[in-house]
Amino acid sequence: MAQFDPIEERAVEMLDDLQLEALRAETVAEDDKRFEFVLWILCLRGVAVVERVCRARGTVQGLSEGEIELAIEDAAARLLLRLSRIEPQPEVHALAAEIAVACVDRPWPTQRRAPQLTPDTPELRLVDEFAEAIESGRIRPNDWESS
Amino acid sequence: MSAAEDAVERAFWQALEDLKQGAEKPIEDYLRLVPREQRQELAQLLADVLLARGPGPAPDGAESEGYKRALAVVDEVLDARGEAGILPGALKAMRNARGIEPDAVVERLAADFEVEGEEGRQALARNYHRLETGMLLGSKLSRRLLSSLASVFDVDPAELLAAARPAAEGPSLRSVPAMGRSAGPQEPSPSRSSSERLPDPEVELVERLFHGGPEA
Repeated sequence: MAQFDPIEERAVEMLDDLQLEALRAETVAEDDKRFEFVLWILCLRGVAVVERVCRARGTVQGLSEGEIELAIEDAAARLLLRLSRIEPQPEVHALAAEIAVACVDRPWPTQRRAPQLTPDTPELRLVDEFAEAIESGRIRPNDWESS
Repeated sequence: MSAAEDAVERAFWQALEDLKQGAEKPIEDYLRLVPREQRQELAQLLADVLLARGPGPAPDGAESEGYKRALAVVDEVLDARGEAGILPGALKAMRNARGIEPDAVVERLAADFEVEGEEGRQALARNYHRLETGMLLGSKLSRRLLSSLASVFDVDPAELLAAARPAAEGPSLRSVPAMGRSAGPQEPSPSRSSSERLPDPEVELVERLFHGGPEA
């Protein structure tokens, strides 16, 4: 990782989220080697939010502990991708929360889904067709005497 | 620098060191290290630091397995940063987190680019592996390949494009001798005989996708 001057590093650590985002946008656009350090600091702040949101939302949605951890890893990777963009990004806590929600909400193979009601009026096409056939004489109702 | 200013600076750095190591003391302990007239200044500096750090994570959250694994992912992706930026590490991390096998990615790419032959699929598998292991140049990846990968991983193609930008001081590409070839000076290649098979058009397409540049 490219190094700031130690004093400059501490200055970066002391920036608030908005200032840090401004620095990120500047360093990423100028291909500044110090971008990586800024990215690391942003990730440190974002990952704590990712962890909390994934855990809280994943638990509510019935994900297992392992699935929650996978969602956290997924979100960490996606956070890095978003923070690599040149375009301005939202404040890192909001961004991390948005990504965490998306990672938890994706379909999971073992997710237990809430039971769903059937449509109001079931379509009984087969029964309708039988009724028409009986009416038109194409088939006859079963008669125990003739069968 | 006066002795008082020096004391403020020393107390401030000590507080930062303690914060970094998670061993911070009550603010009053640091304030006591400086003359009474300087306490307001030090208090303001420390308040700025604490404000910038934001609310601390919940005690169980900071130490949880998920938090550690997320930081490990960030570390791995950044450590692998090179000529294709953070793309290789990010692809691998997302694929692992979602339980997607490399073969499944290759299948999707083959379907998107209508690669049906065995040689074309092998070329896809080989190049995707090289991409994930940081052996390709990000600047040579085609936009349509990145779009297809974005669709596989359900992310914005612009994110993959941005992630593929090479690191400012990235390590040079590792020199990996291809199978069956010497890593030493290359022998002049024999001229092709007329009976030699022409390159497979699907292999050519795959090579263009991975090495032909953004417009390929």
